[in-house]
Amino acid sequence: MKELPILHKQAITHTQLVRYAGASGDFNPIHTVVPVAKQAGLQDVIAHGMLVMGFAGQALTEWFPRQYLRSFQVRFSRMTYPGEQLSVSGQLVESMVRDGEERWLGELIVTNQTGEAKLKGTFEVWKGEPEGSENLPLIP
Amino acid sequence: MTKDLSKYVGYTFEPYAYRVEAGKIREFALAIGDDNPIYHDRDVAQQSGFRDIPLPPTFSTVIEMWAGPSFEHLIEVLELDPLRVLHGKQRYDYGSVICAGDEITACSRIVAAESKSRMNLFTLVTEYANQQGEQVLRAESVIIEMQERMRAKEGKG
Repeated sequence: MKELPILHKQAITHTQLVRYAGASGDFNPIHTVVPVAKQAGLQDVIAHGMLVMGFAGQALTEWFPRQYLRSFQVRFSRMTYPGEQLSVSGQLVESMVRDGEERWLGELIVTNQTGEAKLKGTFEVWKGEPEGSENLPLIP
Repeated sequence: MTKDLSKYVGYTFEPYAYRVEAGKIREFALAIGDDNPIYHDRDVAQQSGFRDIPLPPTFSTVIEMWAGPSFEHLIEVLELDPLRVLHGKQRYDYGSVICAGDEITACSRIVAAESKSRMNLFTLVTEYANQQGEQVLRAESVIIEMQERMRAKEGKG
């Protein structure tokens, strides 16, 4: 198994959640309005799961060309609060062939500063043209 | 809070259209804190083999939320208590990369709804096609409605 470089993100802020709400269009107030979050029984607003998956997506496109990504799936396991500092770790698990092309199957995990897992996921990426073959232009 | 979930299976939202704009991609990448230049510099994107600025891997949530079933719309259709709603799982299957300037049409439908472990689980599938009619992306989301009040130390995204 090949370990991929860890992506360290800055601590999540309330402002970032407001910004992500506006960018994504997910205006569930549990992510931005503290009194609503408290009404829901939470200590504070919680980060959008899709923001945390967005961090993982950032890592994927730092690890591989965006064009090579074939599938990406995650399961959310814990809520994330402002102040938490997340990191994305990943590894290549096995080589496989699907839809007539060679791919890597990989795993990733997003954890906070104490090692608590926020999401776990898997992905498939094309391996790219074998070394030595003609360098074909990519037409995404 | 037990409810009959079977009536939601097969529910199909009105198809919707979305024109992908470079500025929105940049805004989304900034919100994530992703400073990859392919998301804000067309020259870099083209040098990296893209027709134009490409879509980040999780951007299609923007298309759904702004043009399709928004959070408020989902709450209404699935009769959810918004204070108990969480995101359980998300999957994407990628075809050709969607880029700025593309005209996307999308269709979202509920493919499964079940009660399990004191949660109501709804699976929403969205298929995206580009202006050539080519299927370019499939997204699958599992939305959770907790049957009890949420607790601060538990739960999902």
